[in-house]
Amino acid sequence: MARLSFRVDLAVFVVLLILVAIAAGLVGSLTGLGGGVVVIPLLVILFGASIPIAIGTGFVTILATSSATGAAYVRDRLSDLRIGMFLEIATVPGALIGATATVFLTHANLEDAILIALGVVLLAIIPGSLARRNIELPPPLPSDARAQRLGLAGEYHDNALDQDVSYQAARTSPALGVMFGAGVVSGMFGIGGGVFKVLALERFLNLPMKVATATSNFMIGVTAAAGAGVMLAAGYVNPVVAAPVAVGTAFGAYLGSRLLPGLQNRTVRLLFLPVIAVLAIEVILRGFGLP
Amino acid sequence: MNSAGSAELPPSRSVKPLPPEAYARMTLVLRAGLGLSLAILIASLAAYIVVHPGATSESVLSANPILGYLSFPGLGSGLASGAVEAFLTLGLVVLVATPLVRVLSGFYYFRQGGERTMTAITLAVLVMLLFGLLVIGPLVR
Repeated sequence: MARLSFRVDLAVFVVLLILVAIAAGLVGSLTGLGGGVVVIPLLVILFGASIPIAIGTGFVTILATSSATGAAYVRDRLSDLRIGMFLEIATVPGALIGATATVFLTHANLEDAILIALGVVLLAIIPGSLARRNIELPPPLPSDARAQRLGLAGEYHDNALDQDVSYQAARTSPALGVMFGAGVVSGMFGIGGGVFKVLALERFLNLPMKVATATSNFMIGVTAAAGAGVMLAAGYVNPVVAAPVAVGTAFGAYLGSRLLPGLQNRTVRLLFLPVIAVLAIEVILRGFGLP
Repeated sequence: MNSAGSAELPPSRSVKPLPPEAYARMTLVLRAGLGLSLAILIASLAAYIVVHPGATSESVLSANPILGYLSFPGLGSGLASGAVEAFLTLGLVVLVATPLVRVLSGFYYFRQGGERTMTAITLAVLVMLLFGLLVIGPLVR
């Protein structure tokens, strides 16, 4: 992939960033991976941004899209606030550690190592995104004592099924472990880590698919705020880059969720995931100093 | 009512569910925070382009223009003097602070409900978020 890190007027640059971000938000929305997994590699590959600035921009993107889409999920009570806030006790320290590691690696001139690791993580989340169960209502599992004590349960009305659904969380300890790992990945690379969060919510806590997706989206904002706080205070969030990217990605994600709801399925994921695979390989090659 | 992920053990919902206004308040927090931050960012970005007519993609990517405004005194004096870069910083701070306010409102509702464990969890999350922004970030800069 050719590097287009050219020198253009700022106004033109901002317009280009918005257009690229709209496409990234659309693809990220259709694949369910979020805009960051597309926009961060593109900032590095197309515009020649340094990896910490690209990661800092990724956090801003997550914050914007999570607040935009998360608000609707909270309003509709699909996000389980209690479960989300309980799990943030694991994702937030993970994100702080991840973001701090990125800053130290940058200071140690190991940006290439971050690039290679980012590419590997992007490749790793592709099978993860295909591994979702696609089971609307999971079979019942025994709830653990912690889930019972904290009341990690709820109910919602499923419009598609036209019925009220109740659920109760199970296996909270392994879920906390996976969430900590998701926080580290999110904090280190400026991506939402939603794939890992949804997997933990579905497979360990045994939540219904809609609740898992909505609660993951609700949590992503707080996880990103932890990483963004570190990167912003450390000087790695450039608003002239981040603002147009955040606006474009949020708009692209909105387009993806509103205009093309019927396309968000496994087939479309299979169609777009190769794009992310190409970006991941390009990022790895760049990390190794290859053209 | 269908049951998914429900327990073989009897569900012990001795804790009260969050009140409906908690959901409404958090929806409002997320929307208002996002709207305010994007409005500040877009307006100040437009002003930045006007104020820096010679700026290019290269100059923007090579130096972060807000480095002088990442402390409370720097940000305060920048805003007072009308510096565009300070307003860009403010937009980012509002965006980052939005989830923090959401956690704070969760803390409030759990405390009101007398849920000590969930209150402690949300308070710990809030402290960690502030620690990252106010301590870790400036330390590793």
